[in-house]
Order: sequence, then structure tokens, then C-alpha cells
Amino acid sequence: MSLVARHIEAHGIPTVIMGCAKDVVEHAGVPRFLFSDFPLGNSAGKPFDVESQRQTLELALRLLESATEPRTTVQSPQRWSDDPSWKLDYSNAARLSPEEIAARRRAFDAAKAEARAKTGRS
Amino acid sequence: MSEVDLDAPIPYMQRTREYYLALGYDNPYRWAHHEDVPFTKLGKPLAEARLALITTAAPYQPDAGDQGPGAPYNGKAKFFEVYSGSTADDPDLRISHLGYDRDHTSAEDPNTWFPLARLREAVAAGRIGALTPRFHGAPTNRSQRTTREIDAPELLKRCLEDEADAVLLVPT
Repeated sequence: MSLVARHIEAHGIPTVIMGCAKDVVEHAGVPRFLFSDFPLGNSAGKPFDVESQRQTLELALRLLESATEPRTTVQSPQRWSDDPSWKLDYSNAARLSPEEIAARRRAFDAAKAEARAKTGRS
Repeated sequence: MSEVDLDAPIPYMQRTREYYLALGYDNPYRWAHHEDVPFTKLGKPLAEARLALITTAAPYQPDAGDQGPGAPYNGKAKFFEVYSGSTADDPDLRISHLGYDRDHTSAEDPNTWFPLARLREAVAAGRIGALTPRFHGAPTNRSQRTTREIDAPELLKRCLEDEADAVLLVPT
């Protein structure tokens, strides 16, 4: 998505990205980025929390209006939870047993094969 | 990661690199990186502007297996070409083809990845002039070259056709 935002912006239309992967988006380099420190999948706010979603959108809109230069990141003040331990779980190899690692490898290979079969690409 | 570090965002690039190495894949993904970043100022007040929405979510496909909420990763649910839908409709979009946090996200509320309902409220409140008639879907897990040469130009073309003054992009 960062590449898409860059392309659109370079052709004269301002963009803003809402996302949860701060390092990935900033590494790519984008004009405007509203960062929510939430688990991936919640770029637009917390589930079943209209106020959280409304505030998240409002922050993105303000960023669209107010940024004066590229690479402007704003971090939402919202917290996912008072307990930040959710951050330890995502794709954390150090937390997986050898059996879990083997199972995930099998699942990954199977998913890749399925995607290949669908596109006809190798 | 120590407890002290938990106040910092997850280092996804490092985490992903270590994860795939642990699984036995030793050809790490190279994330896109650029020194120069383009910039265009918003040319009119937001209350008079037409906003486009771009998502990485996929339209539900009845024949493509479990797409959630809460489905395991489903490569069959992916899409490979830019698509568009009407912003006047309520599309059934899913994220089972994406690597979201399945431990801490049930994917039950589409408003967390597709903010169309909130955008409509912002238009009704006069905060945004209008939404473009269409939203657009961006394929994921493509080569960066395909994204750059095929998908990004196609998405730009559709935003221009819809006379978008600004674009909100919501990756998952």
C-alpha cells in the first residue's frame, strides 16, 4: 500500500495511510501516516468501538489537512489494552515449540502451493 | 523483547525475518525502501473535497473456503487484479487472505479495516465534501515491481476517473 500511496501522491493527489505496522510503512517512506499501535487488522480503529473508529478517522483527516511535508507520521493516542503483552505474540519464533514451527512451515508451504495453483505462476 | 520494550511498536521487519528463518526459509523478504518521498498539498478545504478509499480487503467469494471471521490464513481468497465497488453499497469484504494478528483480532467487525461507515458519517456531518462513487481494492503479496508497474498505475487511473481530491489508504 505504501508504494500505491507514493505513486498516487507523485501524480498530484494527496494521500494518507492508516496502519498498524509503523516500521514497515516508514521504511517504505510515505507522505502521511496515521499510526495506531494496535494488532494488525485494526488500522481503522478498535472492533465494535464506534468512538475509537471515529477518532481514528478524524486523526487521519486532520493529517491530510495539516501536513506540510512528506514522512509526516502521527501516532494515535489510543491504547489497545492496559496490558501490552499482546505485542509478544505476533510471528514470534521465540515463543513457538519445534512442533508448532514444523506445523506452521507445512501450513505456509500448502498456502503457497494453493496461491500458485490459482495464478498459474511458479 | 523485554517488558520495557513493550511500550515501543512491534518491530515487524525484524520479527518477520526471524520468524521465517526459524521456519527454515533463509531468503529474507526485502521490504521496500525509499529515500525520496513525494508530497502534494491538499488543494481545497476537506469539506469541499472528494475522498477516495483504497483497501487491501477482498470481496467474499463463496467458493473460496473459510474467510472468517476468525479464519486461518486462506490463500485461496486472494485477488490478483485491482477491483472497484460502489461506496453507496455495503460490500462484504474479508481479510482472511492477509497476515493480520490472529491471536488478538477476531476480524468480526469490518469497520476496523474498512472505514466506509465512518466515512459516510463524516460526509453527513460536512467534514468531508463527498466520497468518490467507487472504492478500490489493491492486491497484496505481489512483487514490488508488479505493484509499482501494474497495480499502482491502475489505482491512480481509477482515482483520476473519479476526480478524487484526496485518497485514504487502509492496509491491514
